Amino acid sequence: MSRTLFGHAWRSQRTKLLVVCVAIAAWSTFLPVIYQSFGTQMKTLIDSGVIPKQLTNFGGGDVFSLGGAIALGYVHPISIILLSVFAVGFTTSAIAGERQRGTLEVLLARPLSRWQVYLTLLAAVLVFIGLVLAAASIGTLIGSAVVGVLDELAIERLPMLWLNGMLLWGTLAAIGLAASVSFDRLTPALGVTMAIVVVSYFLDILGSLWPDAAGLQRYSLFHYLTARDVLGGTVDLPGLALLAVVGGIAIAVALAVFPRRDLAAPS
Amino acid sequence: MDALVTTSLTKHYGHREMPVHRPGHRPAGTVRALEDLSIVVHEGEIFGFLGPNGAGKSTTIRLLLGYLHPTAGSASVLGLDIVRDSVEIRRRVGYLPGGIALYDSLSGERLLDYLGELTGRPSIRRAELLDRLELSSRTLRRPVRDYSRGMRQKIGIVQALQHDPELAVLDEPTEGLDPLMQRAFYGILDDLRAAGRTIFFSSHILSEVERVCDRVAIVRRGRLVALEDVARLLERRKRNVELRVDGDPPRLEAVPGVSGVRILPDGRIDCQLDGDVGPFLAAIAGHRVTDLTIEPAHLEEAFLELYEDAEPDGDDGTSAPEPVVSAPAPPTPAVLP
Repeated sequence: MSRTLFGHAWRSQRTKLLVVCVAIAAWSTFLPVIYQSFGTQMKTLIDSGVIPKQLTNFGGGDVFSLGGAIALGYVHPISIILLSVFAVGFTTSAIAGERQRGTLEVLLARPLSRWQVYLTLLAAVLVFIGLVLAAASIGTLIGSAVVGVLDELAIERLPMLWLNGMLLWGTLAAIGLAASVSFDRLTPALGVTMAIVVVSYFLDILGSLWPDAAGLQRYSLFHYLTARDVLGGTVDLPGLALLAVVGGIAIAVALAVFPRRDLAAPS
Repeated sequence: MDALVTTSLTKHYGHREMPVHRPGHRPAGTVRALEDLSIVVHEGEIFGFLGPNGAGKSTTIRLLLGYLHPTAGSASVLGLDIVRDSVEIRRRVGYLPGGIALYDSLSGERLLDYLGELTGRPSIRRAELLDRLELSSRTLRRPVRDYSRGMRQKIGIVQALQHDPELAVLDEPTEGLDPLMQRAFYGILDDLRAAGRTIFFSSHILSEVERVCDRVAIVRRGRLVALEDVARLLERRKRNVELRVDGDPPRLEAVPGVSGVRILPDGRIDCQLDGDVGPFLAAIAGHRVTDLTIEPAHLEEAFLELYEDAEPDGDDGTSAPEPVVSAPAPPTPAVLP
């Protein structure tokens, strides 16, 4: 790993990181407020049959319990977009974007092996995602404290929730970096990674809302982010292991492809 | 020690660039970007690497620095193998890519710091280079995105040379520089040569190559077509001669080295002169010469002649000519008072 390259990545992303952390903390603060303010009324509404019951389980989250509200926050498109800033945006532009801009020429003229470059960027994106998820946990704590439901939150399980989030988003980031080292242009790297994220997300949400499609959920990486279960004290270890294996495969692919690639002169 | 040695260095691509190098794999429709390149660059010399677009210059440089993997052959830089020791090579080499792209959001100063830190060697030449290329500290505080093309090129030169590399690989280094800065850059090269550094220099500007290089290699369609001392190359060039005499014109047709003799209607005599001028001077000695012009040989003419001499070849580069490779040039004899 190169400390200098890591420092460069940090400096180039720190403003964006601050904005994303503040945004996700604010969003996570908001969810306990929604649960405390509207949870009972929403449950009454659902029980009355006006709204189909399937809509109470959006991606494994709901607003009838604090755990459900927090889980809803993790799979809501707002969180997905905020975390994708680094897991998709940073990773795909890290190599393919630099290659397209021509700056990879200057970087690889230094005494750095391609493994070093890759592993440094992987470490950087894992730190960024870890900080964003930590900001989400802090927001959850603040929101729960503000509306007086802290006693309903199993604070000791937040680190496991953070780890679950890290495995999901770390895996997506590893896929993004694998795409990034495989293409000379940003667009295909971004397109492939976005396609994996969107299809995976779609399968999970579709399966959660439509019982007949529930079998599709197992093919979605998002299915293995089980925030409500984790906060309830149940950890899906095979699911976590699956995320780790997929992430490991993406890393192995990138480490095999990048050093062996021919990098022709940028056009 | 030789600074750079390539032995039958070869690079083939598929029609669509292969994403991953697979040794020995020859897909259908292979393009031979570089074929059997064997050159030696001596320590302390400025070596010009010439050729038209697509000749294989960039491919060679990219092979030497580890961006590409050779299909066949081998090469060493500063005694290090280009495949096995690529990282160590890049620690000891400075590289200026052609049409360099820089990190636009950084200031010039921060960019040079960053690249210097990545190199891991102290930037001992930076202050001198900035001074000679007239890059002020005020300029360096501005973001690179505000720089003109010439200023970017100067930053590119500084980043390649600031750590005083043993070998500098410079691809079109004066691109975008004004004539004054070009002159300043040539001065830098002269100093580097005096300090025993080696320069591998790719350029399209033949007068520049003539001005700074000790030897040149010319590649065409991936093959070496010439490897010569610049002085020798110039010496080989036919000179254009024009003279005017009072009285009968001298009989030049049979003089060794003289060709293309033409007597023009106004009495002037045109011819080409190759090699030693002694026989020519002896042939005109008995005549009353009223005017004599011998045009100096330029590398451009030698370069173009080499191209004209080369057999036309197909895209697969299968019928390229044998390279012209010269022995070290003997001392040039003084021929004229």
